Amino acid sequence: MAVYILRRITWAIVASLIVLSLTFLLLYFTPDTQLTELQFQAAQAGNDPERVGEAYERYHGLDQPIHVQYLEFMTNMVSLNWGWSETRSQPVTTALVEAIPYSMMYAVPSILLSTILGIGIGLYSATHQYTRGDYAATAFAFFGLSIPDFWFAIVLLVVFGGMLGWVPILFDTSVATVSYANVTQLLLPVTVLTLTSVASLMRYSRAEALEYVEAAFVKTAKAKGVSDRRILYRHIFRPASVPLATILVGDLVGIIFVASYLIEVVFGIPGLGTLSYRAIVNQDTALVVGTVLVPTFLTIIGNLVQDIAYTVLDPRIDYGDR
Amino acid sequence: MSSDSDSRRNTFEDVDWDEIDDTARPISHRALAIASAYAIFVGGVAYDVLLAPEGDTIASLGLSLQALDWLYILTLLTLVVFGLVPLSEHRRMTAHYWNQFKKNTAAVVSLGYLLVVFAIGSIGPRVLEKPRVDARNAYQPPVFTSVESWLPVDCVGPVVNDRCHGTWAHPLGTTHEGKDILVSVIYGMEVSMQVGLIAAFITVTIATVVGISAAYFGGWVDTVLMRYVDLQITFPTFFLYLVVVYLYGGSLFSMIVIFGLLGWGSIARIVRSEALQRREETYVLAAKNAGASSSWTIRRHLLPNVSNSVITAATLLIPSLILFEASLAFLGLGDPTVPSWGGLIASGRNDLQYAWWISTIPGVFLFGTILAFNFIGDALRDAFDPRSGGGTT
Repeated sequence: MAVYILRRITWAIVASLIVLSLTFLLLYFTPDTQLTELQFQAAQAGNDPERVGEAYERYHGLDQPIHVQYLEFMTNMVSLNWGWSETRSQPVTTALVEAIPYSMMYAVPSILLSTILGIGIGLYSATHQYTRGDYAATAFAFFGLSIPDFWFAIVLLVVFGGMLGWVPILFDTSVATVSYANVTQLLLPVTVLTLTSVASLMRYSRAEALEYVEAAFVKTAKAKGVSDRRILYRHIFRPASVPLATILVGDLVGIIFVASYLIEVVFGIPGLGTLSYRAIVNQDTALVVGTVLVPTFLTIIGNLVQDIAYTVLDPRIDYGDR
Repeated sequence: MSSDSDSRRNTFEDVDWDEIDDTARPISHRALAIASAYAIFVGGVAYDVLLAPEGDTIASLGLSLQALDWLYILTLLTLVVFGLVPLSEHRRMTAHYWNQFKKNTAAVVSLGYLLVVFAIGSIGPRVLEKPRVDARNAYQPPVFTSVESWLPVDCVGPVVNDRCHGTWAHPLGTTHEGKDILVSVIYGMEVSMQVGLIAAFITVTIATVVGISAAYFGGWVDTVLMRYVDLQITFPTFFLYLVVVYLYGGSLFSMIVIFGLLGWGSIARIVRSEALQRREETYVLAAKNAGASSSWTIRRHLLPNVSNSVITAATLLIPSLILFEASLAFLGLGDPTVPSWGGLIASGRNDLQYAWWISTIPGVFLFGTILAFNFIGDALRDAFDPRSGGGTT
């Protein structure tokens, strides 16, 4: 198992390096919009655009051969020197560090909520299969899976923010993190994100738990007179929790990153998603790369944790041959 | 294969195998029809690329086909050849599947809804003019509803009690630019169907080829392919697309191709595990013993048996693709030239308090389409997968 985990970690590092190399190649083979603009300005001012271009390239080290540039790019990336954000006039890493707390403010409660709700409702559905409650839960899951989150977010914002006036429409960054005002303005983002992520979790946990509801050892336990609650916790939830734990880490991470991007833009939360979106709109290359790499690396780490969790939690799986 | 030798009641030793090998197997009409259909398609693409004048494919008909349209035609052609034709040939099995499927009312309704959306989305954009910006026509309410008369610049319908009423001229109202919402929604139908079907077609093709090759050939082929899948799955496609949009600008074609080329990892895993099981089945071993070639075994024994799980996975993949496209269009990172539902929702976002219909109506269609695909996918999973004990079967 130790060998497998080690190999898996190596693989994650290799994957990260490949992602970085791909980013470098994409950037290297794309014409620099800033350079074209500089040259255009120089030509208008009567200067020689060629000379301006050369000066620009020398300043940014773009006249170096590709392998030198590549090495420098990789060293900078690994040493967390992610460049300078032109539009925000601050280092990219600083901008990221400032934005991440805002993303966590609604993402963390939402992850906790959807984990508890998703597994809870899923287990209920499995043990009460084909009852009214199960159908209601299934309908709810389909609703959550299918509702476009950005659309749902703006509808909620208009109803509860505009018409009823219960929650503020604009996100206020000046309020304290732990305050009533902050809770009200985070209420809708948490609701939308939870709804999107809870649905798939519910379906997974229902399907997983169903495999054990009819299992022989559950029947034996029932025959012995074990209480329903104990059967649920000890005989159904425990074996089902192994695959669930892995789904939680790996898949949820992916869902949340994409959903949070839209949610932040709709609600105006100055988190990672908004930062990235603004960077794309404002053509801030260093910031675009930084904001896209963070979720990418976190996804890779999430997948790593998922695989390791599987081996640790489920000793039946033998990874000797992989 | 050996029906003529059977009829003469020869013993096994009497059969002249050289003679059988020499008589070329006749090409069936069906194979010929399929081959010619694809040949016509290739010819069309070649004509468009090599001979046709810039922009127009067939100038006399005013027909202009882009790369995306060709890809869509290929997708639909494949759907007909490998979906509808086999279904109509095997009437008995079709009836059997239909009886199974019919038990799930939600899925039947969903299928009907999707067929209607597909039909309207295919015909509508050919017949209707593209929605135009017309500032004087802005903010018309949908028919049977009314809005305070200060909002529309120039109310088309009757104004009663200071309220502007909607008319059949714009059954679903107009946007802040005066674009007719019904027409925009119909154009959006085609976009959504293109995104879902083309990307799913690319995904399914690659996933099936990779999954089956990995399972059938095993060894280093398996290792290389599955290692690559491991890598691809960890890579979030959404963020790659963001980078590409940033660097090269968004287009529907690049979006579909990126999602199609990078989204097949999990389905390839499903195909591989399914094909690994099938490979050990007795009928595959029997076919091999009888001297069946690799391609024959794969085509006749592995492909049909993995198709169930592939179809199910693809049906559940399509809604997420449609949602991705709508999300990106909503952010303004999609194709600016394409009238997508996501873009329509975004255009009404700031007026939602006064003009609720602009964002709401396309949202309902988007929700309905995604829901319908999810229902059908779930019904297919219940019908095909004996492991998932749920459903109404």
